[in-house]
Amino acid sequence: MMSISTQNSHPSKYKIQRKPGEKVGIGTSVRVIVMVGIGAIFAIPIIGFVAMGFRSNEDVASGKGGFLGLGSVSIHNAINSFHTINAFGPGKGGLFTQWITNSVLLSVAACALGVFSSLPAGYALARLRFKGKRTVLFLTLLAMTMPNTVLVVPIFLEVDKINSVGQLWPLMVLLGFFPFGTYLSYIHFMTTLPHELVEAARLDGLGDIETFIKVALPIAKQAIALVCFYNIIAVWTNFFLPLALLSSSQNHQTITLGLQQLIGASPLFNPTIAAGLTVKLYMPQLALATFLSTLPLLAIFIFAQRYLLRGQTLGAVKG
Amino acid sequence: MKSEKRASWILLTPFILLSLAAGVIPIGFALWTALQKPETIIRPQGGFGGLSALLNSLRDPRLVTSFKDILIVMSIWLPIMMLGIVGLALLVHSSKGKFAGIMRGIYYLPGALGGIANFMLWVYLVDPQFSPINFIWKDLHLTSISSVVSIGNTPYILAAMLFFQGVGSWMIIVNGGLNGIPDEILEASSIDGAGTWRNVFSIKLPLVLPWIGYAFLLNVAYGFQLFLEPYLLNEITQGAVPSQYAPSQLAYEFAFTDRNLPAASALSLVLLVISLGIGMIVVLRTGLLGDRKVK
Repeated sequence: MMSISTQNSHPSKYKIQRKPGEKVGIGTSVRVIVMVGIGAIFAIPIIGFVAMGFRSNEDVASGKGGFLGLGSVSIHNAINSFHTINAFGPGKGGLFTQWITNSVLLSVAACALGVFSSLPAGYALARLRFKGKRTVLFLTLLAMTMPNTVLVVPIFLEVDKINSVGQLWPLMVLLGFFPFGTYLSYIHFMTTLPHELVEAARLDGLGDIETFIKVALPIAKQAIALVCFYNIIAVWTNFFLPLALLSSSQNHQTITLGLQQLIGASPLFNPTIAAGLTVKLYMPQLALATFLSTLPLLAIFIFAQRYLLRGQTLGAVKG
Repeated sequence: MKSEKRASWILLTPFILLSLAAGVIPIGFALWTALQKPETIIRPQGGFGGLSALLNSLRDPRLVTSFKDILIVMSIWLPIMMLGIVGLALLVHSSKGKFAGIMRGIYYLPGALGGIANFMLWVYLVDPQFSPINFIWKDLHLTSISSVVSIGNTPYILAAMLFFQGVGSWMIIVNGGLNGIPDEILEASSIDGAGTWRNVFSIKLPLVLPWIGYAFLLNVAYGFQLFLEPYLLNEITQGAVPSQYAPSQLAYEFAFTDRNLPAASALSLVLLVISLGIGMIVVLRTGLLGDRKVK
């Protein structure tokens, strides 16, 4: 699921300042109470879940820690849990770090390919005239609205045909296809690239491709950031495609498949399988593993924040 | 201009090549495979089967059940989802400055937990052993995770998971649409004596209708393709939630459990047609392709 973050663009609202002592309307108070209440309903489960990752099995079992277990959190517990998580796997374990590494490699490769394919395509669709443009744009938008699970079985057939099931590279290529990125680039070059710049380049004798590379691309940082951001999130959280293509290969799995394995090996849900394993994963370990798996996304989100806030002209999404 | 045309296609080449690899060729394979007979031990070569795979997969009783399941989930989830998206967007829109920004951030927060992370969060919430909402489970006399995640409760749990994950990011889209309404329009109507609610129903909602329609349709499309949540519910309940709860799961089961690739392909194509149909409506009717009414 993707979205464009938008800034609250109501400059006039900032000017409205309440004089001291002026009464706050009943409607406003009700609204604020409702909004804060809903906010609490959204935030409390997440706080409790993250706290769970920093508690020990014993404290959780005995119900120590008070509200959300916040009283029993410590970094020491998290370090212990991390050792348990990373002991998962054959031999000495280490699968967790392997999964994260695989997901990073996959995301970086897919994102590079996504940028490499989206930016020029978006530029051509936005700025050049050619026959069939409307058709290409229509198909791009259509592809953009498709949930990414829809072609998993057909893609499996294709990858199986070239005997590459279980390898990471087909996913790098396939997830580099990112029509939403092309749409973002299209809107970017449509709305933010000044006509005069393109005209000037043309008068200087630059060809269309040179104009794209030398004039449009250097000032397209925001589009690149947006394409990367959405593509990486899509790749990082993808589950169905890795499940179909990588289940057979322990060493090439991504973090989403890894979390699934951790769940499957937990005595909480699967006592019989878990009984045969030396690594025992309970809720604190599962919560910590989940939390750690979202940290890279969080980092990217913070990094991309300033670009996202400026992306408000791009009013579109992909489901 | 000829050179402009050539340049265009050169610039489009990487994108088109990838779309062939990730879209067109797989669909071709699926079409071809769907017309074959399944390979079995007695008939390892398969062979041409015409429409038999499609008809067989459509006649599979599990298919009807899975569509029924998914429609039940959507009938619970979508009304709450749309109400949540529009309601939160309006609330944020009528708030000011920092407060609006902070609340929008909090509402977006669950959306940042993608897929399996959101699923894990819900496992924590539905397990009476740890859940901060275990007072609910206690009231309902549910004491273990298997009693909470029963097949009867599954539609509600799925609806809750999907709502929690999706509402924030869609709220931001609709909020973006609301922010695009020129202040003068709202000010003018306030001067004319319109109250908060009048403004909402006569101005704000009609102007963001394309956004709301867009959100609705893409969520419907997403609902038909549901996979991760029911798949993992099956795993944590050791089969109490069936492995073919949703149609995509059934396609997966055809392919990887039954080893019936023609049936899997046929069902995938059926699901593809549904997505394409919804996608066409989105692209042609919500103004994505042409000029948008609201910016």
